[in-house]
Amino acid sequence: MTLNSSSCNLFITLAGSPNSGKTTLFNYLSGKNYKTVNYPGSTVDSALANLQRKFNLNALLLDSPGIISLNPESTDEEIAINSLYKHAKLGKPDLVIVTVDASQLSRHLYLVKQIVNANFNVVIALTMVDILNQKGLDIDENKLSKIIHCKVFKVDSRSGKGVQKLLNYVNNIKNKLKNNHLQSSKSSGTNTTEEVLRIYNEIEVIEEQTIFELNENKNIDLTEANKQLNLITNKSLKSKCNQIDARTAKIDKILLHKTWGLLFFFLIMAFTFTSIFWFAQPIMDFISFIFQVLSTEMLILVGNNWLGMFLANGIINGVGSVAVFIPQILILFLILGFLEDSGYLARGAMLIDRPLSKIGLNGKSFVPMLSGFACAIPAMMAARTIPNRRERMLTIFILPLLSCSARLPVYTLLLAFLFPGNKAWIAGLVLASIYLLSTISSVLVAAIINKLNNKIIKDEDNSSFILELPAYRRPKLKVVAINMWHSGKLYIQKAGPVILVLSIFIWFFTTFPNIDPQVNEKNITQEQVNRLKNSERLATSYAADLGKIIQPVMTPLGLDWRVGVSLIAAFAAREVFVSSMTLIFKVTDSHSSLMDSMIGAMRNAKIGNTEQKLFTPASIIGIIIFFMFALQCLATVAVSRKETGSWRIPILQLLIFSSLAYVLSFIAVNGLRILGMS
Amino acid sequence: MKTAAELKCGEKVTINDINIQHPSAKRLLEVGFTPGQEIELVNKSVFNDPIAISLRGTVIALRKSDADCIIIS
Ligand SMILES: Nc1nc2c(ncn2[C@@H]2O[C@H](COP(=O)(O)OP(=O)(O)O)[C@@H](O)[C@H]2O)c(=O)[nH]1
Ligand SMILES: [Mg+2]
Repeated sequence: MTLNSSSCNLFITLAGSPNSGKTTLFNYLSGKNYKTVNYPGSTVDSALANLQRKFNLNALLLDSPGIISLNPESTDEEIAINSLYKHAKLGKPDLVIVTVDASQLSRHLYLVKQIVNANFNVVIALTMVDILNQKGLDIDENKLSKIIHCKVFKVDSRSGKGVQKLLNYVNNIKNKLKNNHLQSSKSSGTNTTEEVLRIYNEIEVIEEQTIFELNENKNIDLTEANKQLNLITNKSLKSKCNQIDARTAKIDKILLHKTWGLLFFFLIMAFTFTSIFWFAQPIMDFISFIFQVLSTEMLILVGNNWLGMFLANGIINGVGSVAVFIPQILILFLILGFLEDSGYLARGAMLIDRPLSKIGLNGKSFVPMLSGFACAIPAMMAARTIPNRRERMLTIFILPLLSCSARLPVYTLLLAFLFPGNKAWIAGLVLASIYLLSTISSVLVAAIINKLNNKIIKDEDNSSFILELPAYRRPKLKVVAINMWHSGKLYIQKAGPVILVLSIFIWFFTTFPNIDPQVNEKNITQEQVNRLKNSERLATSYAADLGKIIQPVMTPLGLDWRVGVSLIAAFAAREVFVSSMTLIFKVTDSHSSLMDSMIGAMRNAKIGNTEQKLFTPASIIGIIIFFMFALQCLATVAVSRKETGSWRIPILQLLIFSSLAYVLSFIAVNGLRILGMS
Repeated sequence: MKTAAELKCGEKVTINDINIQHPSAKRLLEVGFTPGQEIELVNKSVFNDPIAISLRGTVIALRKSDADCIIIS
């Protein structure tokens, strides 16, 4: 995307309360398909795009997170408000289009008043007029324009109705907008409580003057109608204005019900996490099969020399072992997208606020925690919506414990080892319990740190929970699907190169310097020769040298240096563990799929020169526990540093979680051995 | 003095005053809880807290400790 920001270009920012229709308008104007989210404050990043050509207006458009007022409560609001006053690259906007939900006029006009008072050039896009009409009401936009001194246009950005009129107006005044920058100071946007009351008093009068009842007789003179309603129907008009969406009220009676609500909450969560496993399995098997075929063909095509090995083992197997898990990750994003878009998230936050507040978190930690199951990085950014700093820090602190999607590949491989073939359904259940356990452990850690009080995270006063419950909406499949695709692409772009580079590195270190070792070839088949050569090559490789150093750390866990090297590689990104294991255990036998041959190789692996098996149920459980707790993701550490503002929390996270992982894994492995499990 | 925290489900009342000493007062005012507004308690969460109050055409969830600054009589 090339953004043309020459000086003749108009810079327009879209602002407005959450769910007032900013993103819908943005998408219509820019021709993009961004997600329209139904959870207040969830547009964490703002999007920037050029206006589509067909509108004949050269302008840059910025979509911003929803704000309720210019007085920030939380970090996300602060960022949104700061970028309204002065965007990091583009400065002050020439024009602010404020979207106002006509069915909630009074609440949304409050923000308009503040923005006008802060000396911005403002045009109002009045959205959701259809909803207002359904209540039997309508609004006189010309009169509203006159009273609040800025132009108002009724728009429906889903169909584009009225948008062209708004743009024509902007086109006519664009030169004036460019040259007419008033100085706006932050203080003019913030208000004392008296001022808030005064603004609302003014708004109430405006509401009475501009909103009128729709009559059967549409030809009635508007001003006449207004006069009438001020005299006669003031009261009924007011209560009509304040009506809430009837369908939403009905659904909430169930979803916020004392028992049903809780039941649905658990059902939704359980469905989310089990479907990751069930739905993805057939697709995963297919991808795994494709990569195995590719790898075998490559070796035949190029030959069993270093180039062939490099292409087949280093690249195809390395990348394939991770590509296999993309379906699971996409499904997770799909379900999260549906939950977000339907409006359920705010209810989930409300339901869980009470229990979370007991351990020093907040209902608003719910959405970051849920995203934490996809990836800790966006989750930490989503924690910006938590106003109380202490609660926000505590949420960020525990996020790495939640089972992110990068751990899925690791668990899937290890569980497939533990429960092969016809016992695969158990693997699904165990995976679900891993998710449950990771949630429980994060809650426990939060509770403990909350008890330690000021030692780790400083206390702060006033914890509150004030959240709008938006009307339920039918999620739009297209939008959710496109969003899933974007998230998936982002994941591949982020993880892909790391995995490729590390795969090549690991291939190099496990193959060189002794690339063509001498073995005794007498009386054995070609296949046995290859196998001998493979293990000889690895035993004399650079990786083996490094492995000897870390061996003492691995022995207590019942593991050897080969797993150790994979664990170290996993610090770049957890899923690298799988591709690294694939390379180290030389998965080249022509099994039906990559996964099968990987597991076959693991079954045959022995500790050192002994006959003792390396991977036993006990040692596998040990690795799983290690992955559940260890903070093995450098990107997460970096984001934690950025979001918390210092190194304190990320370093504590790294130390506490990694040593916890080692100790718990040690206890599990040796405990199980004592109990008689091998 | 009765506050919105003591409302029963389905109870419809008019806000009498806002206790501006309360730390959540300003945000509640900005959200639209102003004296004279009619509010209704539409739902309570599983543990009776937070509560959901309808106001100015929308529903706001808030903790009882926040609702304590909304004085209704
Ligand atoms: N009924 C109705 N719905 C609208 C209108 N404009 C937008 N929406 C819907 O309102 C929801 C919230 O819009 P969105 O653009 O995400 O709001 P944002 O939070 O301000 O970005 C979306 O589901 C839109 O489809 C409108 O004029 N009428
Ligand atoms: Mg948006």
